[in-house]
Amino acid sequence: MVVLREGMCPGLDENVVRDLRAADIKTVEDLVSSDIEELALKCSLSYKTLFAIRRVLLAQHAAFPVSGADLYEELLSSTAILSTGNPSLDKLLDSGLYTGEITELSGGPGSGKSQVCFGVAVHVSYHLKQSVIYIDTTGGLTASRLLQMLQTETSNTEEQMEALQRIHIFRLFDVFSLLDCLYSLRSGRLQQASVGGGSVKAVIVDSVSAVISPVLGGKQNEGMSLMIQVAGALKTMAKDFNVAVLVTNHVTRSDNGEVRPGLGVSWSHIPRTRVLLERVEGAGSVSCSSFRSATLIKSSRQACRIKEEFDLQWWSRSKEGSSGKRKLEET
Amino acid sequence: MFPENGGPRKVHLIASILCGNVCICNTGVCVSGKTELLYHFLCRCILPQAAGGLETDVMFVDTDYSLDMLRLVGILDSRLNRDEAALYSCLSRLLVVHCSSTSHLLLTLHFLETSLASRPSLSFLLIDSISAFYWPDRCEGGASIAKQEEKLGKCSDLLGRLLRDYRITVFATCHAIRSCRPSSAAASTESDRPYLCRPWQRLVTHRLLCSQQEVADNMTVAVGQQVFTVHCTSSFSTRTKAYRSNSFYVLDGGVTFI
Repeated sequence: MVVLREGMCPGLDENVVRDLRAADIKTVEDLVSSDIEELALKCSLSYKTLFAIRRVLLAQHAAFPVSGADLYEELLSSTAILSTGNPSLDKLLDSGLYTGEITELSGGPGSGKSQVCFGVAVHVSYHLKQSVIYIDTTGGLTASRLLQMLQTETSNTEEQMEALQRIHIFRLFDVFSLLDCLYSLRSGRLQQASVGGGSVKAVIVDSVSAVISPVLGGKQNEGMSLMIQVAGALKTMAKDFNVAVLVTNHVTRSDNGEVRPGLGVSWSHIPRTRVLLERVEGAGSVSCSSFRSATLIKSSRQACRIKEEFDLQWWSRSKEGSSGKRKLEET
Repeated sequence: MFPENGGPRKVHLIASILCGNVCICNTGVCVSGKTELLYHFLCRCILPQAAGGLETDVMFVDTDYSLDMLRLVGILDSRLNRDEAALYSCLSRLLVVHCSSTSHLLLTLHFLETSLASRPSLSFLLIDSISAFYWPDRCEGGASIAKQEEKLGKCSDLLGRLLRDYRITVFATCHAIRSCRPSSAAASTESDRPYLCRPWQRLVTHRLLCSQQEVADNMTVAVGQQVFTVHCTSSFSTRTKAYRSNSFYVLDGGVTFI
């Protein structure tokens, strides 16, 4: 809704705005939707002026169409695929996290969502040497865990510190601070975070349902509207800055007892790819306690419902050590 | 003039598209094959006649950044047998426009009118999705339902005028907002109940409802293949209604009807 003000375009001076307001035309949409001939008679303004104003305002405020070929070329040159660091997860996600898209990880408590997020952050920061924005809404992120993961990658403390510096952390606990943070990232802080390290390639929000589900429910619509606003902010950030967005979500049980991701049907259309994490019910040996199964529930590139099992300790496995030990950990 | 579009249902659909003035609304829950059907329709419009397409220009209105160009190019590639020049000529027939709110959509549709007048080959308008601003509009409108639905109503009126004056076809997707309960047959229509404003409901001539389907024994599909069904309700006037169903599955090369 854009309100008509003087000086917005040539010909739109104070008198014209006042005459239009008297005829109940207060916004650009009102002007564009109304019949120019009728309006010219009503406001005693010249048809030509009004027509010219309408044309300029339309050109300023409407979206301009882009050819599909140009869009595709741009996409080819700017899209990157970020590996998560875990080959089984990469296989599920068709080589990794795609920039320009939102990928969702859902799972119950203790299913390993935050561990996967830490692993991805460490991998992108250390191996790919790019910056990561980590928005923590649950308070579950500790720098010591990130350091522990980095210490298994390298014993050089300088490299560890460099990698840690590339991970920018924001701690917020309600949806308004989240929106504030996302908007400020879009309007310049993203570029600031890129200084001194690689450019920001991944934005991780852990978890998005922790700030949105408290405002949902009941008969108010504000909660749903806020959820769609968060989704819009994440998507535009992903597209405009070519970053891969990874969000986590909780799970609920549907009527027939099936586990499904939370935040409802309206959220289900937002992420491009959705993965459900679950504990593996296996033989109770100690080494299996860190195994998780990931099921692909929504994807535009692969058949759904494919499952992969992986070890949460993959990101913190020791890279040195006897060959026998490595074989055990790589299975 | 218009080739068969695969499946008995679609032949009738295309026949009614001949007279223009058709608005198709594609709805369904999350994983139901809706987007694939949209891309199938899109490819059918922009592919050259030699590859079985209509070779017309298409305007794609993207309201939630959900256009997956890589997937689209994958489908086109497999239909064109990796011919790059033909691929680029197809893509140049596609015009993409992003909208960030219903007001923006309204202004863009007004702006589109000039494009429609100047490009006679532009005869299809695809909107993905028309329900993207449903919740923000409801919140902005406050307590009055009339105010909530006002903006989308204006867009629908404008679309109606464009349909009549320029003889275009509109294909829109609409996301479901309630999950369907498969337990009772009566409740299965609950997710189908239209929730957008009345001017939009009056504009729609064909409603396609997509959903997942259990693989039946008589279907010749690969093991583990996910099958979807699309149920079409066509209303040509207030009294006549036609119902049609069809099943399909999705491969790398796009939608394949059973």
